[in-house]
Amino acid sequence: MRHVFILFKRELGAYFLGPMAYLILVCFQVIAWLNFWMLVDMMSDPTALTALSGTSDPLNRYISESMGFWIAMLVAIPALTMRLFAEERRSGTIETLLTSPVTETEIVLAKWLAAVVMFLSLLAPFYLYLPFLVYFGKYSLDYGPIVSLSLTLVTAGMMFTAIGVFFSSTTRNQIVAAIATFVTLFVLIVMLGMAHEQALAARREELAEGLRYLSVLYQLHWSAAGRLDVRFLALHLSVATIALYLTSKQLRFGRDV
Amino acid sequence: MIRVERLSREYGSVKAVDRLDFEIGRGEIVGFLGPNGAGKTTTMRMLTTYLPPSSGRANLAGHDVLDEPLEVRRKVGYLPENVPLYPEMRVREFLDFRAKLKDVPRNRRQAAVDGVIEQCKLKEVEERIVGNLSKGFRQRVGLAEAMVHDPDILILDEPTAGLDPIQVREVRSLIKMLGSKHTVLLSTHIMPEVEAVCGRVIVIVHGRIALDEDLQKLKLENSIEIELRGLAEGARKSLASAQGVTKVQELRRDGDSTTFEVQTRDGADMREFLAKRVQESGFGLRRLDRRRSTLEDRFVEAVRVATLSQAKEAAEGDAKRH
Repeated sequence: MRHVFILFKRELGAYFLGPMAYLILVCFQVIAWLNFWMLVDMMSDPTALTALSGTSDPLNRYISESMGFWIAMLVAIPALTMRLFAEERRSGTIETLLTSPVTETEIVLAKWLAAVVMFLSLLAPFYLYLPFLVYFGKYSLDYGPIVSLSLTLVTAGMMFTAIGVFFSSTTRNQIVAAIATFVTLFVLIVMLGMAHEQALAARREELAEGLRYLSVLYQLHWSAAGRLDVRFLALHLSVATIALYLTSKQLRFGRDV
Repeated sequence: MIRVERLSREYGSVKAVDRLDFEIGRGEIVGFLGPNGAGKTTTMRMLTTYLPPSSGRANLAGHDVLDEPLEVRRKVGYLPENVPLYPEMRVREFLDFRAKLKDVPRNRRQAAVDGVIEQCKLKEVEERIVGNLSKGFRQRVGLAEAMVHDPDILILDEPTAGLDPIQVREVRSLIKMLGSKHTVLLSTHIMPEVEAVCGRVIVIVHGRIALDEDLQKLKLENSIEIELRGLAEGARKSLASAQGVTKVQELRRDGDSTTFEVQTRDGADMREFLAKRVQESGFGLRRLDRRRSTLEDRFVEAVRVATLSQAKEAAEGDAKRH
């Protein structure tokens, strides 16, 4: 496992030697700023405050129910993960990488960790703005929901990046990897929620309940309201583990892709 | 150093490598030849543990490629065909990264990287970005990368492809120098390269060994070419009956003059003796030459024979099936 850190440093370095990482970071910075502005705007209007009751709480408005956040996320995750293995396959460096005294598991973990760190740095601006509410707005923060949303968001990100890493390992074409990742994330984030609505309309309660549980949007919504469900974390981490396991098998047995 | 037994690799129904057997000792430089698609790269990929063999065994520096792949990788330096490098890294940074990955101990790493930069003459570009280097420098960075952990065995897939003649000469002398310490297996299409660098040559055709010979011995295998005037049959008999002659072969007939190729025992030079014999037998001697068979001749011949015998085998197999 001692090679993981060496490989991880190179992967992280590779992100910042191209324009992609900067573009995505700036994009999330802008979204965080916009969302924060709308949040402050709304909270300073006393009549609007009543609209912020129930599940439509400030934290959901700020991150987990923000349209901009999710659209950017759906684009950013494939963009960050598509390169990881597909580029190595295309340029042939996979051959020198896999003939170094390094195990497949080490390679997969290093690349995935680099993607996870990039994902975390996308979330960072959202947290950067929160202290301003306390010190300048004189609001008092309820830390429970922040912690529970953060935990769920981080494990969801681990799952998203693991899925991206897996698709990147199946092809030598970055576009194919990006599209496959996008479609999978779209299903997890958007389609499952829509399917839940459909099932509800068709009065299939059990099915609707199951679909709701799987929908990432619902999971985050629930966590942002301060209800931490460990089953969500377990689900995210299980999917991530399976995706990473499949990636290492793909590296071992799918060398002629 | 390298021991290969019945090594095979199939892609679906295509046999890329078919029951290879060979053994390479320490300090040998072996040229690995074959027409395109003969299975050279596949064999090298199996030896470097990139591809698992379908059957058979390969043992490098005492470790089996399937049982102890990590040990094999530690002992082998590999330069793949198109010299894959990370284009965004700088030369020294790249070599340092690869040295770390290949477990070069911290206290020796700096010296190891300096050493290969020196050996491969990369000093002037060590801070440049790999993606901006010329083909020749990229090739040398690849070679430096393969050697940075001081492996016992170097496996180089077409190390001089795409270089200019001066760079080719430099890389060859570098490989020759490496041969004093390492075991080198290199594939190439360039025959003079093999003659200049290698001590031994292995030719594979359609995944099978067609020729495995010491280069020194190949050079010894020479014959005498005689062109004479007179009755061809009589001349042939007269030459064949001479003592020390092992084989007489008619090469071509041009009017009343005929050219023979005469092989002698242990490649002995019998030119004076044969000249005298031709004259004593009453034939007109027109030309007498010592003919060295070039590696290229031997290569073409080996490929031709192997292709023929394999076609025959396939036909027999078909006949048996019907």
